Amino acid sequence: MLLKLIGASLVLFAGTLIGFLQAARFADRPKQIRQLAGALQRLETEIVFGRTPLPDALAHTAANAGQPVGRLFQAVADELSATDGRSFRECWDTAMKRTWPTTSMRTPELTVTLRLGSILGMSDKDDQLKHLRLAAVQLKAEEDAARDDQAKYEKMSRSLGLLLAALVVILMI
Amino acid sequence: MLERVAHLLPSELSVVLSRMPVKAQEGLEEIRIRDNRPLEVWTLGVSTFVSSSGSLSDNPDGAYKPSYEVCRKLLERMTNHSVYAMEEELRRGYITVEGGHRIGLAGRTVLEEGRVRGIRDIGGFNVRIARDVTGVSGQTLPQLIDRSNRTIASTLIVGAPRQGKTTYIRDLARAISYGRWQSPQALGWSGRKVGIVDERSEIAACVRGIPTFDVGPRTDVMDACPKAEGMMMMIRSMSPEVLIVDEIGRDEDVEAIREAVRAGVSVVATAHAGDWEEAASRPAIKRLLQEGSFARGVVLRRTITGLTVKVVDLTAAETSVGFAGGTVGSAARAAGHSTASPREPTARAGDAHAP
Repeated sequence: MLLKLIGASLVLFAGTLIGFLQAARFADRPKQIRQLAGALQRLETEIVFGRTPLPDALAHTAANAGQPVGRLFQAVADELSATDGRSFRECWDTAMKRTWPTTSMRTPELTVTLRLGSILGMSDKDDQLKHLRLAAVQLKAEEDAARDDQAKYEKMSRSLGLLLAALVVILMI
Repeated sequence: MLERVAHLLPSELSVVLSRMPVKAQEGLEEIRIRDNRPLEVWTLGVSTFVSSSGSLSDNPDGAYKPSYEVCRKLLERMTNHSVYAMEEELRRGYITVEGGHRIGLAGRTVLEEGRVRGIRDIGGFNVRIARDVTGVSGQTLPQLIDRSNRTIASTLIVGAPRQGKTTYIRDLARAISYGRWQSPQALGWSGRKVGIVDERSEIAACVRGIPTFDVGPRTDVMDACPKAEGMMMMIRSMSPEVLIVDEIGRDEDVEAIREAVRAGVSVVATAHAGDWEEAASRPAIKRLLQEGSFARGVVLRRTITGLTVKVVDLTAAETSVGFAGGTVGSAARAAGHSTASPREPTARAGDAHAP
């Protein structure tokens, strides 16, 4: 009986934890998207006003952005400094795809970010500005969607975790 | 020569070029890369096409054709992934990179109010490999000195493109700055303070304000600065005794050179022209010559055997004695007097192979 009780409480605990983690992902996503948009704005300033070369601009952005977004830019800067003849776009793609799972962000934001990789550094500052602004607008839309998702699913996933765990316990008993 | 620019080129391209015969690699002067068109190089004084196996041919068929991707990578490399930071360079149509190499660009221009603002869709690159040859000016320097002021006389250097004007004035700057006057008359003269106004970053090839070529210990460089403005800034701030500028020819340059000469500064300038008459017929230069701003003229021409340097004594011409020159080997100016049309005795710098 005691064993059963311990098992049941473990299942309940695990279920609740999973629920909370899921909820945290929903809560973090809009925050991180906003962070990413902020970092891109910083990058925009470096490019348009500072005329800083892209590798340096990325490093500055990485240093100033909060985690985990800073990691994304740092990864790109690291890839670029490898100087193995790859183009910026390849570096950007590899770094973003590799580091993306460490954030709570999902595919739509990744698509917006990857699209930026094919244009960054390859045109004059007006054009860079336009593309960075466009990305900012798209990220804003994603942020709104993420916020809706958060309102809808955050509480639900929290209680769902507990309820599913309870269901499992009941079935087991 | 190839290894000097290999770091700028995408690996696909440098692999092809490194398959060329060693001699062709050594004599490489220009690499002309055109999007999806045959790869052309200037080597050993001739233009040829390069196939993907590295063989050279006059026939463009079968030559290696760099793809769009390769061109894009090339642009990324030479701009450090930052085209936006190179707007001024794109407006002028070339980028100067570390080591003084110049990359000319061609493509579709972007206009703003009828003026070129930049180049977009770049489809053609011309990588000109810079080389630094010490001593090209050595043999002619004794003919250019101004004995009364113990410095170099104001000199105009004339030559067509790719004849070695920049190499020549770089060496001149170095020699004056170190005080290597190469003349028995100049024994004991010290070096002079030299100011270089390097509008195209070719003379000193500055990277972040520091010259990458040796331009001498008494030399200051105003990098990427418009010539006329730079000359005035130099005179005001750096008190140069000799000013060195590349490719003069605009009206504002004339005014600045006049000012410099009036301020007692010797000016050494170059101008694009096939020969002396051609240079003298250009309006801006004509005015300067008429006013006597230059005391010497130098005509550079590259031949198979080396660099041909002709020295024209303009002060002598004014006193209606004609032009004097001489073999570069002997310091003395050979008599070449004529009251009529100026003669320009030719001298050959036998061992001075310069671009």
